[in-house]
Amino acid sequence: MKDYKILFTGSVCSGKTTAIRSVSDIETLDTDAQASDVTVRRKKNTTIVMDYGVLDLNTETRVHLYGTPGQERFRFMWDMLTSEFAHDAIGMVLLVDNTRKDPFRDIRFYAKAFGDYLRKRRLIIAVTHSDVEPNPDYNRYLSELKDLGVMSTVMFVDARDPRAILGVIEELISAVERDIDWDQVRDRLLDINGFSLDFYKPLYEETLLDAAMNKRGVLGAMHIGEGQDLLCSNIDDASIKSLLLNINRLTDAISEKASFLGAVNNVVIAGPKVDTLSVFNDQNQSLCLKSDKDISLPVLKQQAGDLLQWSIDNDYLA
Amino acid sequence: MNELLGTIDKPNVVESSCFLEGKEVTTSSFTKANRHYETVARQTFSYIFLNVGKHKSKHNEAHLEIGDKRLSGFLLKANRVLVCLSEKETNISDVRAHIQQVQHLIAKAEVERMLA
Repeated sequence: MKDYKILFTGSVCSGKTTAIRSVSDIETLDTDAQASDVTVRRKKNTTIVMDYGVLDLNTETRVHLYGTPGQERFRFMWDMLTSEFAHDAIGMVLLVDNTRKDPFRDIRFYAKAFGDYLRKRRLIIAVTHSDVEPNPDYNRYLSELKDLGVMSTVMFVDARDPRAILGVIEELISAVERDIDWDQVRDRLLDINGFSLDFYKPLYEETLLDAAMNKRGVLGAMHIGEGQDLLCSNIDDASIKSLLLNINRLTDAISEKASFLGAVNNVVIAGPKVDTLSVFNDQNQSLCLKSDKDISLPVLKQQAGDLLQWSIDNDYLA
Repeated sequence: MNELLGTIDKPNVVESSCFLEGKEVTTSSFTKANRHYETVARQTFSYIFLNVGKHKSKHNEAHLEIGDKRLSGFLLKANRVLVCLSEKETNISDVRAHIQQVQHLIAKAEVERMLA
């Protein structure tokens, strides 16, 4: 029996678990937990350790499919997968969610995070959710990847469709295995696993402010868009609102004047008997929070980062 | 004051520190390489604490994360701020705890400075 391994990675909700599940011959090993952060806006569960599935291509050839957790805070699992379980994988599939506000940012991030790993193996970029958001299109991906210097095949796939995911696997395996009857595998998978659009139902329900208010310790929130445009707020106290807006203007000014030091990620002001006020920046938008003074700043920072990750989608998702 | 900055600077917690009087730096351990951060700190904390004062708010510390670094400003009294430069990944609680530990030394130095 010849065994091959493929590692699937990508951001939260990019479809890693779904992709592996759609082609696996075994009941996949999912290590999901209820999402505690903004992923709840997109789905209720998130992978915390890894996904694992197996696909038999014929009686002599088998592919082991490993999926990483999406969140960077589970980075230790990325290291474990690349150095142990999937250290000898034939290639890596980077699933890119096309509804993300900047999918190329994800590509840059994962290409860097898995840079050493990718030196010895092929990378396939599998773009998902293009049925929801068709842009950027295929040509734009090719052009951006060329600019980024990333050598990769780009495929637009539906992670729920076993035929699409099998196509990705074929792209990697067919270079070394010439005797696989891919049509037969495809038919078999459709018979066994089928293709149902109910496989994955995204939950696009909460607005950014709702999501923020559901976070531990958050007492108020304000969303500021490009050009200091106040998009929405539920902070009533005029004084606090003005203070936060001024701090946000300050972060813009510093980012502009001291860009060589890097971006201003956040500003937090605190005190012993007052609510903590913070401004978190992400590209052209900011999330201002009023929170309980007892919430630790690393927790606050993580929550804000996760919230901002999806916020551009907010208007059309709401 | 310079000795005090030597105590405030602590490996893995506070890389460099300085005292601000309004927008002016009175004492500093910022290296030449980190001087740009000192400039940002001067502008940032004078602006923030001026705004805090205007709004009659009781916030007495501010933290700015820029690039790979974090600047923390602790308001000692009106117009006087202690600035600490740390790595972004340094836990703010560690910086706070360290400043609290040396609080009595800072207070003593402030009294000596006023009497001088």
